[in-house]
Amino acid sequence: MALRIRPALGIVAGLALGLLAGTAQADVKLGALFPFSGELALLGDESWRGVELAAEEFNAKGGINGEKVQFLRGDAVDNNQAIAEARRLISVEEVKAIFGTYSSSRSQVASQVAELAGIPYFELGAVSDDITGRGFQYLFRTNPTAKAMAVRTVELITDVIAPRLEVEPSALKIAIIHEDSLYGTTVAGFQNEFGAKANLNIVETLAYPASTVDLSSTILRLQQNEIDVVLQTSYQNDSVLFFRQAHEAGFKPKAVIDGGGGYSLVDTAQAVGTEIIDGAFNADVTQYAVNPAAAPGIEDFVAAYQEKYGSAPRSGHSLLHYTGAKVLLEALAKAESLEPDAIVAAVKAIDIPAGGTPEGWGVKFGEDGQNERATMMGMQWQDGKLVTVWPPEAAVAEVRLTKSE
Amino acid sequence: MTVFWQLVLNGLMLGGLFAIISVGLTLIFGIIRLVNFAHGELLMVGMYATFLLTTQLGVHPYALAPPVVLLLFVVGVLIQRFILQPLLEARDHHVQIFATVGLSTALINLALLLFGADIHSTPGYGARTPLAFGPFRILTGHVVMFVAGILVVGGLHVFLQRTYLGRAIRATAQHRHAAQLMGIDINKIYIITFGIGAACVGLAATLVAPMYPVSPTVGTYFVLTAFVVVVLGGMGSLHGAFIGALIIGLVDSLSGYYIAPDLKEVVIFAIFLLILLVRPTGLFGLGRGSE
Repeated sequence: MALRIRPALGIVAGLALGLLAGTAQADVKLGALFPFSGELALLGDESWRGVELAAEEFNAKGGINGEKVQFLRGDAVDNNQAIAEARRLISVEEVKAIFGTYSSSRSQVASQVAELAGIPYFELGAVSDDITGRGFQYLFRTNPTAKAMAVRTVELITDVIAPRLEVEPSALKIAIIHEDSLYGTTVAGFQNEFGAKANLNIVETLAYPASTVDLSSTILRLQQNEIDVVLQTSYQNDSVLFFRQAHEAGFKPKAVIDGGGGYSLVDTAQAVGTEIIDGAFNADVTQYAVNPAAAPGIEDFVAAYQEKYGSAPRSGHSLLHYTGAKVLLEALAKAESLEPDAIVAAVKAIDIPAGGTPEGWGVKFGEDGQNERATMMGMQWQDGKLVTVWPPEAAVAEVRLTKSE
Repeated sequence: MTVFWQLVLNGLMLGGLFAIISVGLTLIFGIIRLVNFAHGELLMVGMYATFLLTTQLGVHPYALAPPVVLLLFVVGVLIQRFILQPLLEARDHHVQIFATVGLSTALINLALLLFGADIHSTPGYGARTPLAFGPFRILTGHVVMFVAGILVVGGLHVFLQRTYLGRAIRATAQHRHAAQLMGIDINKIYIITFGIGAACVGLAATLVAPMYPVSPTVGTYFVLTAFVVVVLGGMGSLHGAFIGALIIGLVDSLSGYYIAPDLKEVVIFAIFLLILLVRPTGLFGLGRGSE
């Protein structure tokens, strides 16, 4: 039986390959580099879905002068593989540009390959600030970075929390706790920098390894110092640990603000207990409970996602990558040619004002290739849902925080 | 002063957690002379089993101890019989260690495939309820772990000292060839020992599950500390592992408060290196006399 099926399968596969190759020749080939397998596969795939939807929408509207764009996927399962796949996409598939990558470390190495080959690299989702800032000519990033996260957390203290507690921001005792890898350290560094500029009283900054199984002594220290506001930058495991142990130790700061990652996931809220996490603030990329007037196109995106994948978006990553891909594809359509330098010129000419994309931010690239108009949203967990509460034009709910006696 | 005693209490409770996880590791090391790098992943398997059974059947995780312990015993027996035993005759015994490293990676990726990278939380059923004694607070689940740790160490001690099988296991540990000459089937002893070691992890898993959410990499969070505990206590020494765990728990808790949370691992591993340099057999190690 198996013997009979095999040749048949071979013929079918051959035909399919032939068909693919046939269509590929007529299209504009672009690379999509994401972790499609391994530990980051879930959110890597979610990010890719955003790019896929942007491409479909773009092709339906006519593509680049009638030519459709076709994304060839590369699996960036780890850093080595990211390099190998970037090389393959550039030299074997001859893509005109690479879109990626969700993961900062993959982006860092893969963009280097593209830069050396002189092929534009578009980062749509990696947050590490270091990626731009290496003086690359062909690298552009649409999404907000760790710096934007720190800006938003400090603003939440000065403009949202302090006024509602009816105190001066400088009267609040603030502690920064963060996991001690590059991610947490970068965000905490910017929080200290912008916090000092805003004249905040940052009492202490405590780092811990993300793999820790006990934060009780850290929490005891915060308790002893009578901390009012805790800023935490964390992954999922340590987010859960902090909230659980703080609750168990009876530590109730006036407010907790968290940076992205683990806090935006519904799973985290459920693992902590929705009543325990209730009221926690979060600075992260745009999520779906946002005022559509401030994020034009978000409703169409959610509808298209639902239609194609049969479920609501699993996280904000798809929207983030959709927005970046959409903006960049539209720029490609306006480019004089698809030579690298013409693409770069077209991308540098992008000028979208704040509130002009489904993410809510605008697009204008700085000298280093970073989108200077990318910002993060201020959100709060309310009744098991993460809702946008800041800035006011994007808010869908009132901030829940009152002066306690 | 209240803070200090609360830290001590937290440290002892954390020590109880490390103890229950380390017992199986030290047993396997002491008897089979095998550093089992897949130890953390056995914990992960047990925690997923507890999570699934608790959420599917609505049973208290502690009530699942018998089936999960049995499951892990069987898993341990299969690993020793079909993966490690065939390698026993290899010229280089390090091959077995590499096999456990491979097993660890395989199990993590299998869990990623089956459950995804997300965390899953086992319902607590009161294990995370704090008990208040005056100004002090401890969690019910931690007390249970601490007591269970003492019982397991005591139980295994009695088993190894008083039963025929226990004596055979100790004889194998002391000198495997002499034991063989005395008519002990050492392959069987190894299989049973690995099974018992894995079963201890199974018990630990049912106690840890309500306290910590499970994810494919959860084992890696615990296993490194477990190795330090085993070395500190003396590899193969059960009560050594228990006392070593309490010491590490206290160090973790106190240095996290008085020094800095990101330096507590520095302190713990400094102790680890110091022990290796000054007293390589650990606090309660068997010394050079053993094989």
